[in-house]
Amino acid sequence: MALNPTEPKWSLRLPADCSIAAIRNVYELIREAFGRQERLEIDCSSVDKADVTSIQLLLSTAKTGQAQGRPVVLTSFSQSLRNTLRRAGFTSEAMIDQHFPQKKDGT
Amino acid sequence: MSAMDPTEVFRQEASELFEVLEGALLDLGQRPDDRELVDSAFRALHTIKGSGAMFGFDKVASFTHEFETAFDRVRKGEIKPTQELISVALAAKDYIRALIEDPQSTDDIIGEAILDDLKRFVSADQPVAAVMEIAEAPPLAPAVTKQAGWHLYLEFETHILRNGSNPLDLLEDLCKLGPCFVVPVTDGVPFLDEMEPEDCYLKWDVKLHAACDKDAIDDVFMFVQDEMKLTLSPLEHVEAPAPAPLFQLLDEELAPVAEMPAPPVEAAAAPVAEQAVAKTEPKSESKPEPKLEAKRDDRGIATVRVQAERLDELMDRVGELVIAQARLTQLAASGSDLSIKMIAEEIERLASSLRDTTMGARMVPIGSLFGRFRRLVHDLSRDLSKPVEFVTSGEDTELDKTMIECLADPLVHLIRNAVDHGIEDTATRAANGKTEQGRIELAAVHSGAQVLVTVKDNGGGLNTARIRAKAEEQGLIATGAVLTDHEVHQFLFHPGFSTAQTISALSGRGVGMDVVKRTIENMRGSIDLSTRPGQGTTVTLRLPLTLAIIEGLLIRVGEGRYIIPLSAVEECIELTAEDERSRGRNFLNVRGNLVPFLRLREIMTASGTPDRHQKTIIISTGETHVGLVADQIIGNHQTVIKSLSKLHSDVTMFSGATILGDGTAALILDVAQLVALAQSKVEKQHISEAA
Repeated sequence: MALNPTEPKWSLRLPADCSIAAIRNVYELIREAFGRQERLEIDCSSVDKADVTSIQLLLSTAKTGQAQGRPVVLTSFSQSLRNTLRRAGFTSEAMIDQHFPQKKDGT
Repeated sequence: MSAMDPTEVFRQEASELFEVLEGALLDLGQRPDDRELVDSAFRALHTIKGSGAMFGFDKVASFTHEFETAFDRVRKGEIKPTQELISVALAAKDYIRALIEDPQSTDDIIGEAILDDLKRFVSADQPVAAVMEIAEAPPLAPAVTKQAGWHLYLEFETHILRNGSNPLDLLEDLCKLGPCFVVPVTDGVPFLDEMEPEDCYLKWDVKLHAACDKDAIDDVFMFVQDEMKLTLSPLEHVEAPAPAPLFQLLDEELAPVAEMPAPPVEAAAAPVAEQAVAKTEPKSESKPEPKLEAKRDDRGIATVRVQAERLDELMDRVGELVIAQARLTQLAASGSDLSIKMIAEEIERLASSLRDTTMGARMVPIGSLFGRFRRLVHDLSRDLSKPVEFVTSGEDTELDKTMIECLADPLVHLIRNAVDHGIEDTATRAANGKTEQGRIELAAVHSGAQVLVTVKDNGGGLNTARIRAKAEEQGLIATGAVLTDHEVHQFLFHPGFSTAQTISALSGRGVGMDVVKRTIENMRGSIDLSTRPGQGTTVTLRLPLTLAIIEGLLIRVGEGRYIIPLSAVEECIELTAEDERSRGRNFLNVRGNLVPFLRLREIMTASGTPDRHQKTIIISTGETHVGLVADQIIGNHQTVIKSLSKLHSDVTMFSGATILGDGTAALILDVAQLVALAQSKVEKQHISEAA
């Protein structure tokens, strides 16, 4: 889990554990990143453990970014995260796109 | 004070849940049709599973899940919880406990064997229909309960995720009932600055297209029903086409998203629908009236979990405050400043009130201790093939937490003895015209400043002749010595004394009752024993309410000052000239009763001239009264008990020390030891007179 300022766009890679056991650390990391960057890109490719708290945190991040006019982009959803989203009722890509501003790989 | 390790918090919570689980399982053995017990057991299991997963106890979570699954037929009322099943379930509980408390001691093979047993019992063909006849009420009329489907709105309390519950698991369970269309409602998710990441903000709007009973839905949420708001309304008709199942669970869970079944028709409009759900009524459905709300009102926090050591620290601080207050009171009394005296009195009142409040915070219902003995009796009953009914009462009686911890071992000894020696085998009971099932009662009750804990059995009673013979054999008494039954029974508390003819794993080694007595006396309590041949034995433990601060009677003997626990003081009388003349016999005549007395000046080897008017304080332990002769009775004293140093560990006359208002120390007299000393003097006197 690290901020990578050397990449052209500021990105934050979420850790493998984004479950409730570790969510506060993830929360603090995202808040810290929000304090530093105008534009935030969150890489979700490493997420291995996710639950309701992970989904809520991503929803809140997107909502906050939108309210503050600071773009937040989520990239590379891991399979585990997708499964959790599906279990929570975010079943279609359209639905996920609606709630989570994604940058699809390669775009 | 250190922050509490979350894993330790889980262990503590799990420990409490194990007690609930064990209690429910044991009760199920007695009342197999009690649905509330099954639910209680399941709630405990479910929380252990959820919390275990949350805190990284993956083995616990997976084993508990298997346990839950295997036990599910019991929950559904398909099979009855037999004694064999209860025993295996208890073994499973023990295994989970070991996984949490000492994982190194566990072996997967044991866990698998337990699960196999559990599965075998629950899958064994049982007369299900017969069971259902008894356990199940006839189903409600289908016209009322069977619907084309249900519309559910799920709103969980914010803290629900913290106790290990997982709404996603519940949604999965719901989808097992039939095709489900789940729409998450995200309105409640706050901005980053306002959110608590462990809180639950998501809500769900669910359409369940299944003609199931409302009870089936309630079953899904039974473990969290106190922590959620469930709004249910019937769907009037199935919306065509019914959506494909959202979850195929497990196997499909791992499938890539692209292979998921096509989303239901509504899915395309889901984001829009989602907003609509939160704000408007779905037009194709009946109004959600009458809405069946499975409650709950927000409740304030009723209890706070506090580390035990913090309570100990608090008690220590209050103790120091009480000592400082005593010094202030003494200082104020020696001066003439009225305002200082008033302040000292006010502080005395506040310190006294603070002391009571703090001691109250340390009080724990004794029921938390009683629960564990049910398992003990259950196992002993099984191992010894003696059916025993175990009855408890007075579980709400409160005792200082330190006392509760100290009481566990003595009670184990007493209950073991009651089952092993007290209760006769079934053949003997039958021959004596008794019921086949023995009975052991464990009760607690407040009695003044004491708590009485009794262990009573309806067995054969003590064999006084055999105890006496054994005492003679061991040289504890002379052959033919005249002793009352009560005196004979006291030999049971003698170290190494046992009348058991065989040594078993349970008892017979003569180790136990002396330990019980010593432990109880260390707690400044006493132990009474009464028995009726053929009808049973009752052991009563008399315990002070607390170990930290007591009300004491401050006395002076020579230059030294001593404290007698006020709870042991019966009365104070002046030593008359006639009593003085009885020197050598050391008996007082108290309203016609002869009471032995001890001259504390002699015991403490006090120097100087005795006061002209000596005072006698009559103390008692149970039925035994003894007088203590002192120079002066100073008065009541709030006594903060300080332990004696290790150097004084062999001094048995004192149970501790305290600091007085002038900063000097006073020793606290050990009442039980003084009574024993007086009794031994009386015995010696008897022997010398007889000689």
